[in-house]
Amino acid sequence: MCNSRLETETLDAGGHCVLEMPSGTGKTVSLLSLIIAYQQYYPEHRKLIYCSRTMSEIEKALAELKALMRYREDQLGRTEEFRGLGLTSRKNLCLHPSVKREKSGAVVDARCRSLTAGFVKEKKERGEDVPVCIYHDNLDLLEPHNLIPNGVWTLDGIMRYGEEHKQCPYFTSRRMMSFCNVIIYSYHYLLDPKIAERVSKELSKDCIVVFDEAHNIDNVCIESLSTDITEDSLRKATRGAQNLENRISEMKDTDADKLKNEYAKLVEGLRGADEAREEDAFMSNPALPDDLLKEAVPGNIRRAEHFVAFLKRFVEYLKTRMKVRQVISETPPSFLAHLKEHTYIEKKPLRFCAERLTSLVRTLELTSIEDYQPLQEVATFATLVATYEKGFLLILEPYESDAAEVPNPVLHFTCLDAAIAIKPVFDRFSSVIITSGTISPLEMYPKMLGFTTVVQESYSMSLGRRSFLPIIVTRGSDQVPVSSGFQVRNEPSVVRNYGNLLTEFSKLTPDGMVVFFPSYLYMESIISMWQGMGILDEVWKYKLILVETPDAQETSLALETYRTACCNGRGAVLLCVARGKVSEGIDFDHQYGRTVLCIGVPFQYTESRILKARLEFLRETYRIRENDFLSFDAMRHAAQCLGRVLRGKDDYGIMVLADKRFLKKRTQLPKWINQAILDSEINLSTDMAVGSAKKFLRNMAQPFKQSDQEGVSTWSLKDLEKFKESQDEENIRALREAQMQGSEVQNGNGERGDEYDVEAEAEMMQLDH
Amino acid sequence: MSPKSIALVDNPMDDMCPICKSTRYLNKGIKFLINPECYHRMCSTCVDRIFTAGPASCPVPLCGKTLRKRGFKPAFFADLGIEREVDIRKRVGQVFNRRQEEFETLLDYNDYLQDTEDLIFDLVNGMAKEKLQAEEKLKAYRAMNLQEIEDNKRAGLEEADYERRKETAEKEAARQRRLKLIREQEEGKMDVEKSRRDMLERLANTDEDPTAITRQAQKVILKKSSARRNLTDSSSDPNGGLPLDSSLSIRGLKKKVAPIAEEAYDPFGGINLTPTRYVLNDEYENEWLNGIKTDTRILAGGYSLPEYYARTMFEAFSGLGVFINDEVGPKAKPEVRIKKEVEIDDDVF
Repeated sequence: MCNSRLETETLDAGGHCVLEMPSGTGKTVSLLSLIIAYQQYYPEHRKLIYCSRTMSEIEKALAELKALMRYREDQLGRTEEFRGLGLTSRKNLCLHPSVKREKSGAVVDARCRSLTAGFVKEKKERGEDVPVCIYHDNLDLLEPHNLIPNGVWTLDGIMRYGEEHKQCPYFTSRRMMSFCNVIIYSYHYLLDPKIAERVSKELSKDCIVVFDEAHNIDNVCIESLSTDITEDSLRKATRGAQNLENRISEMKDTDADKLKNEYAKLVEGLRGADEAREEDAFMSNPALPDDLLKEAVPGNIRRAEHFVAFLKRFVEYLKTRMKVRQVISETPPSFLAHLKEHTYIEKKPLRFCAERLTSLVRTLELTSIEDYQPLQEVATFATLVATYEKGFLLILEPYESDAAEVPNPVLHFTCLDAAIAIKPVFDRFSSVIITSGTISPLEMYPKMLGFTTVVQESYSMSLGRRSFLPIIVTRGSDQVPVSSGFQVRNEPSVVRNYGNLLTEFSKLTPDGMVVFFPSYLYMESIISMWQGMGILDEVWKYKLILVETPDAQETSLALETYRTACCNGRGAVLLCVARGKVSEGIDFDHQYGRTVLCIGVPFQYTESRILKARLEFLRETYRIRENDFLSFDAMRHAAQCLGRVLRGKDDYGIMVLADKRFLKKRTQLPKWINQAILDSEINLSTDMAVGSAKKFLRNMAQPFKQSDQEGVSTWSLKDLEKFKESQDEENIRALREAQMQGSEVQNGNGERGDEYDVEAEAEMMQLDH
Repeated sequence: MSPKSIALVDNPMDDMCPICKSTRYLNKGIKFLINPECYHRMCSTCVDRIFTAGPASCPVPLCGKTLRKRGFKPAFFADLGIEREVDIRKRVGQVFNRRQEEFETLLDYNDYLQDTEDLIFDLVNGMAKEKLQAEEKLKAYRAMNLQEIEDNKRAGLEEADYERRKETAEKEAARQRRLKLIREQEEGKMDVEKSRRDMLERLANTDEDPTAITRQAQKVILKKSSARRNLTDSSSDPNGGLPLDSSLSIRGLKKKVAPIAEEAYDPFGGINLTPTRYVLNDEYENEWLNGIKTDTRILAGGYSLPEYYARTMFEAFSGLGVFINDEVGPKAKPEVRIKKEVEIDDDVF
């Protein structure tokens, strides 16, 4: 509740904030309700862009929004003019009878485009017989700003509406984005420059942006600007260039005017976007800096055939580079120097590469875009490498691993600076809220993402009872320290102690139990050792054992079995990886997870060259020490794993951190977890841990009535009013004190007291609404 | 015709010499060479075999160009079509090397770039006639702009050199920073170690309250480490601030010209004071001045005869060639000013 004041500050003053709120305690709904109240209270109705990570989270947020709007309607007694929409990929929203049956998202995208592109419609109007999508074309018959009635539309809901009215849900959402109050979508739509350019550029400046589940946002930013180029993709790129060449010569024979038109446009300057950008209508794109738009395309890639030759040369150059059999890491300037030496490709045309390709593809009216995907990737790579001197690194790895014999070269073009991708968002929108259940330490994020915050706050949890038990186990029952450090991780004593821990907890935990390992590799080795020691047989007596694998389908099958076993009383243990799919976004509420066991500190694989480069960059640029970053990253993943079991106030669970290194890293856990760790429970051996866990479970088994929670963790209106009163009193007291002090010290200070008055009044007003 | 780009897919033919048909399987160290005369690929053994005795014709059927061993080189690109194109580009680039600064507008520069590109295209893909024309054009341009080509070449080299030096300097600076950091960390560790040892010693040798000693020592360590941290943060800040700014620097902005060395301040605003209408000699024959040259009484006071000559000549000629009607405005003014100054000089003298 008290976050309201903080947040209104953010919204009013126009600033960015980082909030940490315990997971599963209604973070989404409290944020939504507050922002919507704010939005509806002020006449300008600032739009809310709510970004989440996965499809299921988007769906959840939409459902919450829907419930919230119903509640508001009940309370206010009128229906507000309000529209909330979610957006996801075409694959999830397609209604076209044949297209929707495609499995791969890329294919759906491509097929949809071939049915809905602008030139297809033109052809149709000219009377040619081309296949079109009836769902899409029906949209043109409707009023462009009123494609769908007011209300909150969940993804399912919009699909149903689309089916009834024969209109495309995907395009309905996309076109209505400028006309609705709330948009909920994945943060790729805002961060990935390739998508953001198309989807999000029309959002107005005063939007309120919320990044939910944003503890990984820096990695998302980095991934969105990084590319990996393989020999295979280069081969495909060459083929794409060849196709382009053929198409150009075809077009020259049939429709030379179009090429000429394009040429004329390029002589003028890059697209008409220049003016629009000046008027600040579009969000800037990190892959297409502003000054680029103001310039005309360089003369040597203006003509289509010149450009294709240019691309071919670049691709050939990359192919030659890939033949090298040693690891190379170089900065963009040195890459460019080498490129220029061997191919006479200058930096400037390279910067225009991506835009030029897009324009060419548009002119040629290509429908099978997916064939040109690799070429597009290469072009984006070219643009980025020529645009940024700092913050990027090229790493060529000829072999997959150190032991590999057969070369499989990959050219990683890695972004090292998370701030580049998110910068346009911070520049454009005045209020950006970054929030997650586990986003500690808070000051790390502004540092890494390059912004300043108005509010940084970590909220703790108010609970009716102690409903989760975080403990740190540092030793086995035989007092041998346990750790997943490289030196000791495969020692039989450590492995046995971990095994014992698992057996003990599988004995005492009711229903489901989740175990997290630092990596797949370690999980495999430890499981095989456990098998040899007979530990798995022991666990088997009490619970089913299920394992997460890198394969998504296998994992989802395992999850399904796990849930069944948890529901029917057999109980199960799910062994998974701290950076895998399970650790992010899959909830183990209630019986699905009563214990989470975190075996070892989930550090990243530190031998990775990309990680090394990034650490170096962070140290050089942002003064973040290597160890600080590694430990921060490990702890946020650990916290994320722990947060999986507690998904609400009536939920309970045990959180076991099993590594001696957790002792020192305890402070890096989120505030709400760290506060709940008792000093007597931080340096336990297995038997002690079992003891306190048993006691905890016995407590939890006591009947827990709704009324016990009231006034503590759930507040009625009366409690709220009481709280407000006490807050007001507090304010008044503070005010009086300030005044007393003011009059004591000097008369001149009295003015300061007045200022306080104004502020306090404003605060109270904010509390009121 | 140009060899068409064939290397679309990795085919096994890439590893076979088309002349002697030996493959990488038979000869592990096989190396392929090409000659920029005809771009036919053959292995180094074949080159040795055929061309060691002197120039011979290309063994590829229907080629028949005369090749020399000296001309062979390993190909940089797998696609020989591209290899050839790049070679042509190199040749053209040495001639058409104008820079953007030389053009009035961006549009002109772009047009120039396109013309160059067209020329290259003719050379690469054109028919015999077009090729010939392009060659002619290239030659003519070279003859016409010899000097400028040289200048631009030099400028380009300088630029590359500057870039290279800048990069090495940056690398060196980064290395230094890293070393410094490591040193500092080590020092910090030593410091902590030392404090701990001190504490232990104090615990062993004095009979103060042990808890007080430990607490105090802990405090000292904490204070030191935090102070050090602050110090490093603040000391490295100026360094740190710089890369932060330039990390987002966008390349391709107009290159900054090194500022021209500032010349000494000229109070006359660059007016040329050397006389134009007469030549000042060192010596003038004049009988009533002859004595002065040797008279120590006069010279001891610092009187210099050349100065006298200069002033006299100036006064004699001043005002000549000044036509008030023609030179109304700024030009007339300095003239007057100079005169005045001379006059003032006169008074002093």
